[in-house]
Order: sequence, then C-alpha cells, then structure tokens
Amino acid sequence: MKRIWVIVLAVSALCHAQRERNPFSGDPKAAEGGRAAFRIYCSPCHGIRGEGGRGPDLTRGTYSVGERDRDLYEVISEGVPGTEMPSYNTMNEETVWHLVSYIRSIAKRSTETVRGNRQSGEKLFWTKGACGQCHVVGAKGGRLGPDLTRAGRQRSPAYLRESVLSPSEDLTPGYFTVTVVTREGRKIEGVQRAFDNFSAQLMDAKENFHSFLKSDVASLKREYRSLMPDNYGKLFSASELNDLLAYLVSLRGEDQR
Amino acid sequence: MKTWATLLSLIFAAAAAITAAITSDKLRQAQSDPNTWLSYGKNYYGWRYSPLAEITPANVAQLVPKWMYQTGVSGKNETTPLIFDRIMFITGPSNNAWALDLLTGNKLWSYAQRPPQGLHVCCGPVNRGFAALGEKLFKVNLEADLVALDAKTGRTIWKTRIDDFRRGFSGTVAPLVVKDMVVIGIAGAEFGVRGFIDAYDANTGQRRWRFYTVAAPGEPGGDTWGGDSWMRGGGSTWVTGTYDPELNVIYWGTGNPGPDMNGDVRPGDNLYTDAVVALDADTGKLKWHFQFTPHDVHDWDAISDPVLINLTIKGQAVKALVQANRNGFFYTLDRTNGKMLLAKAYTKVTWADGIAPDGRPILVKGQDPTEEGNKSCPGIGGGHNWQATSYSPQTGLYYFGTTDGCHIYYKYDQEFIEGQWYQASTVGGVPKEPTTGAVLAVNPTTGAIKWRFDMVQTPTAGILSTAGGLVFSGDSHGYLFALDARTGKPLWKFQTGGVVIAPPISYTLDGKQYIAVAAGSTMMTFALR
Repeated sequence: MKRIWVIVLAVSALCHAQRERNPFSGDPKAAEGGRAAFRIYCSPCHGIRGEGGRGPDLTRGTYSVGERDRDLYEVISEGVPGTEMPSYNTMNEETVWHLVSYIRSIAKRSTETVRGNRQSGEKLFWTKGACGQCHVVGAKGGRLGPDLTRAGRQRSPAYLRESVLSPSEDLTPGYFTVTVVTREGRKIEGVQRAFDNFSAQLMDAKENFHSFLKSDVASLKREYRSLMPDNYGKLFSASELNDLLAYLVSLRGEDQR
Repeated sequence: MKTWATLLSLIFAAAAAITAAITSDKLRQAQSDPNTWLSYGKNYYGWRYSPLAEITPANVAQLVPKWMYQTGVSGKNETTPLIFDRIMFITGPSNNAWALDLLTGNKLWSYAQRPPQGLHVCCGPVNRGFAALGEKLFKVNLEADLVALDAKTGRTIWKTRIDDFRRGFSGTVAPLVVKDMVVIGIAGAEFGVRGFIDAYDANTGQRRWRFYTVAAPGEPGGDTWGGDSWMRGGGSTWVTGTYDPELNVIYWGTGNPGPDMNGDVRPGDNLYTDAVVALDADTGKLKWHFQFTPHDVHDWDAISDPVLINLTIKGQAVKALVQANRNGFFYTLDRTNGKMLLAKAYTKVTWADGIAPDGRPILVKGQDPTEEGNKSCPGIGGGHNWQATSYSPQTGLYYFGTTDGCHIYYKYDQEFIEGQWYQASTVGGVPKEPTTGAVLAVNPTTGAIKWRFDMVQTPTAGILSTAGGLVFSGDSHGYLFALDARTGKPLWKFQTGGVVIAPPISYTLDGKQYIAVAAGSTMMTFALR
C-alpha cells in the first residue's frame, strides 16, 4: 500500500512539475495573488506595472523566452543564465503559476491588430525602406542597428510602430549615438559599441569600427538619440506602414533557428 | 645582568617586530604609520589618506601592476585589505577570506564558510573587510555571525551569533576595533529588521553592549514611530563607523527606515534611522544624534562614512564630522554635540529646498512616492551612496563619488511576513534620462565643490587620497584611475578587467609605495616601474 502511495505521489508530482498550462488560468484570484508577489519579487526590475525598467517590459504580450505558460513558469523558476534574471527555484509552484496569471493579465497583445500585408512589408523592408542596410533578419542585413530576427516576439506592434516613426523615443540599450571630433577636425559619427570614462568604441554607417581615447581627440560625446532616419512617417503611406509592421510582427525567429 | 636584560629586551623587541601584533595604540596612531593599513578607514577618523608620497602626479604614468591574485570567487568584491606583517588580509563574497604574501601575492592561507540556505541579503553576498587586534582578525559572515580568526592560520578562534539570519539579519560590514572591543553593524532593513550597533569582547566574543537604531516605545525617540511600526523599523548599520579616541565616542551612520519608500505605515520621524549616532564607546549609550532625512520615503540611508576632521570655520576651531549624504546634501556637523554647521546640495535635488538651520529639510511638496509613480531627485542610491570616501589634510578637500540622476518612486501596500522582502515600494528609471556621475572634491568648511571629474555612469568604487597629491578610484567598466588631488585632472588609468567597487589602499613593502585594489574577483597591486 505504501509503495502504491509513493508511486501515486511521484506520478502526481511529475505531472504537476511538467504541467504545460497554467492550472489557475482564468482565475482572477490567482492573478491578484500574482500581483502581490510580482510587486515584491519582480517589480524592482520589471517595474511596478510590469512595464519594464532594468528588466524587459512584460506588458507587450510577447516574451523572448517563449509564449507557452510553461515557458513563463520556467523562466521564473529557473532564471535566464547569462542575464540578470535570477532563479526563483525556492518559490512554491502555486506562487509561480500565480505570477504567470498576473503576467498574462497585464499583457496588452490584443490592443492593436496589424492589418497590413506581410509580403509587401518584407519587400518594403529590403527595398524602399532600406531597413536591411542597418538591421539584420536571420542571416541577411546590416549590422549597425538592433537585430530584428525576433522583433515580433520581443516587441509589441505598438512599440514597433513607435520605433519606426520615432526611433529616438525609446532607444534599445547600447544604441546611443556617439560623435567624435579629432584634433584635425574630422567628425566621425556612429552607434555606440562601448563607452566608458576614458574611451569610446563605435560603428559608423559603413560598419567600420572606430576606437578613440578621450585624451586623444578634440571632443567626444554620447547622445540619447538614434542614428536611424526619423522620416519613415513621410516616406511610407499609411498602408505601406501597416505592411511593414505586418512583416516586423511576423519576425519570430523560427525560420532562422 | 644589565647586558642580559638589554639583550632579552632586544630579542623581545625583534619578536614583536616580526609578529607585530596590532595594539590599541597602533590603531590610534595608524595615520602616522605609512607602511601599514590596519583598519577600514586607515585611521579612526576614516580619512583613507596615505601619507606616502613616492607616487606623484609627475611619475604616476609609470605605475604598473606588480602582482594579481585571482580568488576564484565571483560576485561583488568590496573588501578593504588590511596590511601588516608583510601580509595582505582580504575578505571576499560569500564568507571567503585570504592571507596573501605581500611580496608575491602567493596565498598563505584561506578561509571559507559555506553560507546556510535561506539567507536574506538585499544586495548580494558581499563583505567589506577585516578588522584586526593582537594576532586576531575579525570579520562578519553573511549569516550574521562575527568570527575571530588567527591571523597566522585563518583558523577560527571564536564565533558569535549576532542575530537570526532567518529573520532577515545579515553581516556585510567591516568591523571597527575600539580598545578591546569589536564594534559591528548589521544589514537587513529591506526585510523589516530592527537595526542595531553591537560591541563584542575581542578576546571572548561576548557581547558588551547593543544600541538599537530604532527607538522602542518608552525610549527617547520612541514616540517617532506610529503603532508598532518600530518593530520592523529598519535602520541597519552596514557601513563601518569612526571613532574619536579623545572624546571616546563612536560615530555610526544608520540606514533607511522600513519599509523603504512607503512611510504610510510608520508615521513620525522614525528615529534613529537615516541619522548619525554618537555613542559612548564604553557603554554604547547615545550621546547625541543628527537625523538627515526624517521620515525618509526615498531610501536614503545615512551610511556614508562619518568622517572626522578638525576644521577652522569662520575663525573657530571645530571638531567636525562630515558626511556626503545620500539625500543629495553634504553636511558638516560639530561632532561634540551634533549641531549642524552647514549643509549644501552637491547634486540635483528636487525633494527639498535646502536644509533649515535646525537641520530639518525644507520639504518640497509632491515629491513622495505614489502608486502611479512620482519622479524625485536624487535617485534611490543618492547622491553619494556607501562607497568609501577620503579626506586629504594636504589639500583640505573631501573626496566622494556622486550619481547625478533621478528615479520614479512607487509605493504599494504589502503585508509584513517575517524574514521576507519588505519594501512596499519600488523605483523605476526615468525615460530618456540616463544617470551619470562624478568624483567630487568638496571643501568641508564651506561645502563648495572645488572640482569634479565627470563620469559616464554611476561611480561604483571607493576613494584613496595620498600625500603624493593623488586621488585613486575606479569605475564599473574596470578602470582603476588616478586624478590630480588639487585639480581632478586624470593622470593615469589601468583596465583591471573587473568592476571596481572596493576602495584602493596604499602601503609600503621594502620601502617602496604600493597601491592595491580588488577588482572583479582579482586582488592586484601596483608600484612604479
């Protein structure tokens, strides 16, 4: 009898631990419980409403770790190696699922639908928009701007729209503009690759690396602005913009794995 | 007979020179000994000033690494090394410590104590260094233990439980030896502990006295806490204090009230949080206090070194205490009575219009945290946070790092559960406003900024000043650098490969001046080529 109980318990534990879907899905009390835990454990990095800070914005409804409940559960309980996201493996299972419930409840994924044509958008990306000169998708594209291979998974449609129309509104960390003037009067502008108290390393529009010591140049400044052109609102019609967004939203990394 | 007596005394003197036991007198006279580094602040006044002058602005470009010791223990390295007997004694994260041969960097012994499960540490498993007396070294362990180690072997001589780590207490501070006592502070305000400062018998580990930094009902200051909020009042004491042997007074900074940025549950001034307390060294009794931020709702611990300087202000000789407070103001106090002599903002401050003559901030409305979030400056770490500061009697300047920036402060309701994170509040960055920083040189008699060395990010490291006319510090990108102490001009830098959080120190070996600093998980020393 005892052995049977052990087997039952073991199977039950296994099922519980490997549950794919949130057992509290749809339970408002679970989301409320998760909200309390979120404020204690998550808000220091993800912000009190999950809108991001030191950690990613969780309200976008897309998650770089995966879309399944199980993916969210695992990232909370196991952390993300190589990042600042720690493991909460001492947190009990119910609390972790409550956190998943809360994170789901703050997602704004359905607030905007993209009506454009993905294929047309892809063409615009590589031709009229020349986006590919600076952004890589999979194995193709430029290296100056952020990698967009998984842009649709990492960013909401609204955020992507804002990034296209007002690229300096919210800079991807590490993509500040650095301008150096040499003692000979030569001006070099590029995207920050590294920047410290004594030096700067940048990539210019032709993808050349430059490195300067502050003590060797006439001036060296870093600005909170993007080198990306800010005229896409004029360049594209409303319909073209929707097409481009449809393409960006479709970039989920699957094809490039 | 006299010859034998002379010979014997010579032998004893030679033996003493070899063992060089640290005495109370040596600690009192530490500033006059350029060769050693015997305590957290070098001297009791917390100056962190080396009288060595071999390395100067003219030759600092010739400074090169001499040895590096890789501890193999990752994490934030905040140790101030102690130097005596041709040995360097350092602590590391997660209850580790080492004794290193000063000539080669070779390990002589190591100490490790695995931290228990269930620890509650707010900001990483850090440790800020040893204290020494006789042939003993003293350190706190994360689980709120105080241990005495044999300086020759690293063996534990005694161990004392300071308090219960399960309730949120933890040990990170470098102890301060005063007479025959080891004085320590405690961490844990983010877990709703009631903070204190303790003194222990250096020989036995028995506690001599305890001063609670949160006043209970019936005690002076007990009426500054609403309800039973004092029981979770915080006021941790996680950075080493200073000591005036003439006045026999210990000065110690206290941390934020708990919960940090939500004052709703703790109406009142919340004494003695965010204050400096002056304690009778023998009894631990409070002589006076000065509270920098009454009823703090921005997490502005007053734990920056309370540095003791004898100044002349408006023609009057003053035994002063200075602090670059996290709330954005630099203060000079009279350390005999706690009276404020001056307070001046050293970074952007939006929460107060200044400090009134009685020491109370002139509050600006609308700066408190809200559920929706409210921007206020400085940000949560200050201003100047905890990193070690330095005073140079040569330049008359006080050196510290500052963060220039703001935060959005939020508060929310949270039930207190013993041993669990209890902030009921949080902060977020201000969009499009990246924080920057600087090393500042401030005149302590006026609060005026003499120079600033601008930095592209929050300063992370402590500071050393030297009679050579130099200021040494480091940064989060891994640079150790030297500035001209009079002008702030950068003169030398070295990429250590690891974030510099610890303060540099200086000492001699065989008559040559060295600079040493912990960076990343490596201890390294430098001397002229």
